[in-house]
Amino acid sequence: MSSRTWLHDMNPALKFILVVISMLTLAWFFNPWTPLIFFLGIVLLQFLFSRVNWKIWFLLMIPIGFTAIGYLWTTLLFAADTTGNVIWVWRGFEVTDEQWKTALSLTFRVFAFSSMSLLFAFTTDPVKFVMSLMQQLRLSPKLAYGVMVGYQFLPVVREEFILIRHAHRLRGIGKEKHAWQRLLGMRRLLIPLLAGAVRRAERSAFAMEARGFTGERRTVYYEPIGIVGRDWLMTIVIISLLTVSSIGGLLLS
Amino acid sequence: MVSTHYKKPMSLPVAKNTIIDFNQVSFQFPDDEEAVFQDISFSVQKGERVVLSGPSGCGKSTLLYLMNRLYPSNCDGKLNGSLQLWNKDAANYAPGEINARIATVFQDPDAQFCMPNVEQEMAFTLENLHVPRKEMERRITETLEMTGLTPFRKTTIQTLSGGMKQRVATACAILMQPGVLLLDEPLAHLDPLTAQEYVEWLDRLQLSRSLTIVAVEHRLDLWGPFFDRAIHVQSSGTYPVEMNPMRSSMNFPKRTTSIQSVVAFEACNISVRMKEKQLLQDVSLCLQRGEIAILAGPNGSGKSTFLKTICGILKKSDGHIQYGIIYPGYVPQSPEHLFVTQRVDDEIRFSNRTDDATIDDIMLRLRLDEIQNAHPFSVSHGQKRRVAIGAMLADKRPVLLLDEPTSGQDASALQELFHLIDERAKEGFAILMVTHDMTFAAAIADTIFLLKNGELTGRFENNGLLKHAEVLRDHKLASPFGACPHV
Repeated sequence: MSSRTWLHDMNPALKFILVVISMLTLAWFFNPWTPLIFFLGIVLLQFLFSRVNWKIWFLLMIPIGFTAIGYLWTTLLFAADTTGNVIWVWRGFEVTDEQWKTALSLTFRVFAFSSMSLLFAFTTDPVKFVMSLMQQLRLSPKLAYGVMVGYQFLPVVREEFILIRHAHRLRGIGKEKHAWQRLLGMRRLLIPLLAGAVRRAERSAFAMEARGFTGERRTVYYEPIGIVGRDWLMTIVIISLLTVSSIGGLLLS
Repeated sequence: MVSTHYKKPMSLPVAKNTIIDFNQVSFQFPDDEEAVFQDISFSVQKGERVVLSGPSGCGKSTLLYLMNRLYPSNCDGKLNGSLQLWNKDAANYAPGEINARIATVFQDPDAQFCMPNVEQEMAFTLENLHVPRKEMERRITETLEMTGLTPFRKTTIQTLSGGMKQRVATACAILMQPGVLLLDEPLAHLDPLTAQEYVEWLDRLQLSRSLTIVAVEHRLDLWGPFFDRAIHVQSSGTYPVEMNPMRSSMNFPKRTTSIQSVVAFEACNISVRMKEKQLLQDVSLCLQRGEIAILAGPNGSGKSTFLKTICGILKKSDGHIQYGIIYPGYVPQSPEHLFVTQRVDDEIRFSNRTDDATIDDIMLRLRLDEIQNAHPFSVSHGQKRRVAIGAMLADKRPVLLLDEPTSGQDASALQELFHLIDERAKEGFAILMVTHDMTFAAAIADTIFLLKNGELTGRFENNGLLKHAEVLRDHKLASPFGACPHV
C-alpha cells in the first residue's frame, strides 16, 4: 500500500505546475467529455496514490456540486445560443441539444477544476510547498519566509481573536439580538486584532534579521526538496490523463 | 529599591578586549524633535556579563538595536559619534555580517520564529549564514546537546511553553557561534519561577561557553547575582557603572487590610466542562467587600477560565454564583482587548449605567481626565489598565477580576499597580487577581487561593502560605524571598 503516499511525497512545485497546466489545457475544450474523463481520472488517481479523507472530500464536494448544478440550470435557462435540435419541451420552454452540451460541459468543468484543486490541497503540506517554490521556482526568500511567518501566526491570531471576543462579550458586544447587529459589531474586533498583528510582524521581522536573514538567495538548504524519479512518473501519469481526456473528448463529441 | 553605589568606570579598558564601544554617540529618530541619546559613552569587554538597566521607555531597546545593527538602517535614524564593534566602525560591516557575531534573543516568545519545528528553525538560522549542510547537521546536534534541548529537536515550536521558547531562541542565537549574546528583556513574558529556571540555565551555559552576555533589563531582582556589571542607561553623557549589581526583591509599602464584613461575591461549586474536558471542578470561593485576593497556580490550571466564568463570559456547567446586581468586572492581561470605542472618555461611558457626576469622579480618581480625548490604543500600558478599570467601575461592578496584571511590568509600574489596587480596595471593591508574582502577592494580598488541575487546593491567609515552601513548589510558584537563591 506504499503507493498510497506517492501524491503526498510528490514535489509540491512540480505538482503545482501540473495543476496549472491541466487547468489551462482544460479551458480550451468545450465538449462535455473531456472534463468528465479528467474528473473521473483525478478521482481514480486520488484513490490509488493518496490517503485522502474521503469524508471531508465529499463534504467539500457538496458546495461544488451545487455550483455545478447552478451552472447547468442557468445555462439551460438563459443560453444566448438557441440553435440546434430541440430535444426537450416543457411549458413553452425549449432545450436544444447544443444548449444541453454547453451546459454539461460547464458543469463537468467545475467538477474537473475543483477536483484538481482539492487533490493539490489534500496532498500538499503548505510548509513544504513554500520551501519547494523557493527551491525549484526561485521564489524570493523574502516572500517565502514572509508567508512562513504568516503561517506561524495563524494559531496565535486565532487565540487572540477568542480572547478579544471574550472581553467584548463582557461589555455587551456580541449579545445583540439581530444577526446583522452582531456582524456590524465584528468590526470592533478588527482594530485590536490588527494592532496586535502589526506589532508582532515588526518583532518577527527584527528577530529574523537578527538571525542574519538578509533576504538574499540561499546557497545551501538543510532540507533540500528535490525532484526524484517517482515525481516524473506521477507527472507522466497526470499528463497522460490530460492527453487521454483531451483526445477522448474530441473523439466522443 | 536598594540604595546603589555607583563606581566610576575603572581605568581605560585594554583596547583588544573591548568588543562594543560607544564613544560620544548621539541618536535621533527621523520623526522626533529631540535625540534619544546625546553624547553617550560606554563599552563592553570580552567575556563579561553586562546588563543595561533603566526604567521602561528610557531607550534601552534602541541601544540594543544599535548594537546589533538593526538600527539605524531600519528606521533611518541619525547616528553621530563613534560606535565601534571589535575595533571597527559599525557602519563598515556588511548587512547581516554583524548579526552572526552579535546574536539577539528578543522578549516576545511568540514573535521570533518563522519555521514550524525546532530543527527547522535552527536550520533557517544556519542557511542564512550559508553554512555547508554537513556542518549544519553537526552544529545543530552539538548546540541541542549543549543547551539540553535534544529531546525537542522535532517538536513544533508553537506547542512549547514560553520558557522553552526562550531557550530555543537562545539556542538559535548560540548556534551562530556569536561573540556576543544580546538579550532584550528575555524574562518579560515569563513567570518568576520559569524566569528563575531560565537564568540558572543561562548561567550554566555561559560558564561552559564563556560567552559575552549583554542584556537589557528593567527587573534586576529577577537575575540574582548573574551580572558582573550594570550600566545605567541615561539620555546623555558617560554611563555610570555598578559592579556586581544585585537587587533584593522589590519593596512595597505596608498596607493595612480594608476588609469589610459584608460579602461582596460568592461562587459555589463552580464546574466548567468544555468539549469533554473538565476545566474546573467544584471551585467555591467567597470575597468580602474591600478584600484583595490572589488566585495562583501552574499554567493551565484553570485560573483564567475561573475568572471568565464568574464574570459571565464563559458558561458554567454547574454551581451557582451570588453577585448582587451585576457580574464582576474583568480586566484581561492585555487591557486593550476590552476597548470598543475611539476615545478614552467614550470608553468609560460606553455602558451608560452611570450618571455624569460619578463618571467625572471616576475619571478624577483614576487620573483619566488628562487623557480623556486620547485614543485608548495610543496611551501607555499602565494608562490602558486604568481605562479598563475605569470602565468596569462605571459599570458599577462591585468586584474586579484582574488577569496577570503583573506580567512584564517594571518596578515603577508594579508600584503604581500596587497603589491602584489598594485604593480600589479602600473604596470598598473586592479584588481577585491572578498572578505568578508571589513577591507582589505577599505585599498586597489579604488571602491567597491556590488552584491546580481545575481544583481549588487551598485558601491561605497571606502570611500563612509563604511559609509553605513545598506548597509553593507544588504549584510552580517562586518563593517571594530572594529571586535566585542558588545561582
